[in-house]
Amino acid sequence: MQAFFDDLALMAPAVMFNISFAAASIPLGFVLAVFLALGKASSNPIINRLSRGYIYAFRGSPLFIQFFMFYSLALSLNVTVWKPMGWSGFVLHPLFMGPFVLVLNTAAYTAEIFYGALRAVPRGAIEAARAYGMSRSQQFRRVIWPNLIRLAWPAYTNEVVFLFHATAIVYFALPVIGGQRELMSTAQNLFETDYNAFLHFPVAALYFLAVSLVIFFIFGLIYQRLMRHLPSPPRLRYIPKWLR
Amino acid sequence: MFDDIAFWVSYLTNGKHLTWYASFQFTIIAALLGGALAVIFGLTGATLKNSRFWPLRMIGTVYSAIVRGVPDVLFFLFFPLAFEQGVEWFVASQVCTPEMIAAQSAPWPPCKEANWFLGTPEYLILASVSLGLVYGAFATNVIHGAMRSVPAGQLEAARAYGMSESQVLWRVHIRQMWVYALPGLSNVWMLIIKATSLLSLLQIADIVLWADRLGAPNFLPTVGLVHDDWRWRYYLVLFVFYILVTWLSERAFDAITRRVGRGILSEAHG
Amino acid sequence: MKNVLLAAAAVLALGAPAFAQENVRIATEGAYAPWNFLNDAGEPAGFEIDLGNAICEKAGLTCEWILNDWDSMIPNMLAGNYDMLMAGMSITEERQQTIDFTQNYFPPDPSKFVAAPGANFDFANLQGARIGVQSGTIQAAYAEANLAEGNTIVSFATADQNMADLMAGNIDTILADGAYLEPIVTAANGAIEFVGEDVLIGGGVGAGLRKEDTELKAKLDEAITALKADGTVDKLIGQWFEGQGPFFTE
Repeated sequence: MQAFFDDLALMAPAVMFNISFAAASIPLGFVLAVFLALGKASSNPIINRLSRGYIYAFRGSPLFIQFFMFYSLALSLNVTVWKPMGWSGFVLHPLFMGPFVLVLNTAAYTAEIFYGALRAVPRGAIEAARAYGMSRSQQFRRVIWPNLIRLAWPAYTNEVVFLFHATAIVYFALPVIGGQRELMSTAQNLFETDYNAFLHFPVAALYFLAVSLVIFFIFGLIYQRLMRHLPSPPRLRYIPKWLR
Repeated sequence: MFDDIAFWVSYLTNGKHLTWYASFQFTIIAALLGGALAVIFGLTGATLKNSRFWPLRMIGTVYSAIVRGVPDVLFFLFFPLAFEQGVEWFVASQVCTPEMIAAQSAPWPPCKEANWFLGTPEYLILASVSLGLVYGAFATNVIHGAMRSVPAGQLEAARAYGMSESQVLWRVHIRQMWVYALPGLSNVWMLIIKATSLLSLLQIADIVLWADRLGAPNFLPTVGLVHDDWRWRYYLVLFVFYILVTWLSERAFDAITRRVGRGILSEAHG
Repeated sequence: MKNVLLAAAAVLALGAPAFAQENVRIATEGAYAPWNFLNDAGEPAGFEIDLGNAICEKAGLTCEWILNDWDSMIPNMLAGNYDMLMAGMSITEERQQTIDFTQNYFPPDPSKFVAAPGANFDFANLQGARIGVQSGTIQAAYAEANLAEGNTIVSFATADQNMADLMAGNIDTILADGAYLEPIVTAANGAIEFVGEDVLIGGGVGAGLRKEDTELKAKLDEAITALKADGTVDKLIGQWFEGQGPFFTE
């Protein structure tokens, strides 16, 4: 039992890394995703193709490979690009590289969700807005966006939990600086010292589960607020229907 | 010019590269086996969730909730270890004598005779089972939803024909369920493909491990071609490989959906 | 049922000595040239592979090579995935608490720093440097204990990745086994050079074994003693590490 509490204490700082990775990538990924979703819906052939290609490539390949690829790519540019700019230690630092790749990855998944929601926005609402003489940006801000985000929220919640889980592989692909390790790599490290799989992995799993539930809870509250105009606001289910 | 081409051809077909190409089999086997198991676990989970007996229903719900609440990589690392120790514990209870246990100085397994060697084939199977378990939880939800999408009239008609409950389940319910489950299962399949990139974490010499070994810089002529860090090129190949597999899978699923959905989907959406 | 299984186990146990040749699985990393690496044929090769095969031949064992990541090398041996490991692993007291080692087949080897020429550091008293190590090595433990203050320790999964980051200038210096670095420094033609003072850690390189495998350890030790005496070990060291040795013969 003592060992269990020791593990809980040992992993408490580690979970902060997972949370920071997720917290850094969620807002940036969100913004990038909005642009990508609009790009995919755009009638401009170049923007449309680029957005589609980007979303397809990042959803179609494993995050694990993306980490390896972007790290080694950034490393090969170190002498010619980052060094002269004085960014060397910064760009290749896992605390930058980790969230950077996570943003690229989650933006693609989120954009696909937003794109799906965008297409589901009722035609009539947009036509009504146009009939009122709203400009395109007004249409987007007042009509399309509020509809879109409500439609997308359950799936987006799922994606955020997935992103949080994806932070577990950051240090399997990137170098470790100082003692900075996230949850999964800490559990693996502890396991390699005393070979007690039944202690360390379940403790890490508990942390992941706990934070996942907190995410569901917070996003559920936001969802209820988004849906407050309805007489009985739908509740966010723990297991939403949509898959990543 | 020709020399260059000849050089690159021979470099890209040396034994090390051929081993890399051959290691794609591990990825493909793990994906196919994991996918098949995910469907089996998904069917089991969905049946449990539909059960009238609440403890079974609880097991189904808890299974899909827990597995989805933790990262796949955690399960992927934990399950093979747990399974290995479980098997060793069982074997030990059958094989170990008190003398053998006394002779054992290591903390695990209880006696040397109970040790289970894990090589690449064993790890590959265990990896596939963990993929099956993790993504079976996703498949559970997909199949559970699809079972409920089958029009009730179909089942009533089957019962009216005098079919038994198991006949209704297997001949009508599950057979029609596939049509509604296919889009969701296609998503699960894409997830499984991507998760196969984690095989190297279980000491399987898979495509990712070989990409690292091939791309790593080499300075010593006795070791092979002297080159700088070429890793990103090899990872780029894997990046493209996975995108291609995704594309092919999409095509395949589209074709299957169209074929299976003939006469059903048009009615349902009619 | 239990009795049947017991009988089967007994038959197996009695039958075992009938096979003169025992099958031994040896794990190696395959990313630590010239100690162990993957050659152009995609097979393990290098000093330790040649030596391991010679030891097995001498001891009358059939050996099989298995690749395993450096990080999980000891746990996976304890789990029984292989019987011994030869991966340039230094004999240390800490490791001896969990596993056993044969006698060393490479003498204690000073750890060294390498850096790009013109690196502007006081290497005798490092401050503000990014020091690359391979995680789980004696150098990583040393750096953690003695250099962590005022420096940044960057740990990599393989020695190759460590070297790639040094060449690309992401780290300022590497602390690693001298015998591993020497051929690379020679081959790199001035791209990197030895700096600072040697660090004396580790008790030579030996093969790792599970503690309970005392019989295997005795066999291997006997074989290594014989190979040291007849000059095979020195010959292989001379072949793979230019200018090193002879250590074990006159």
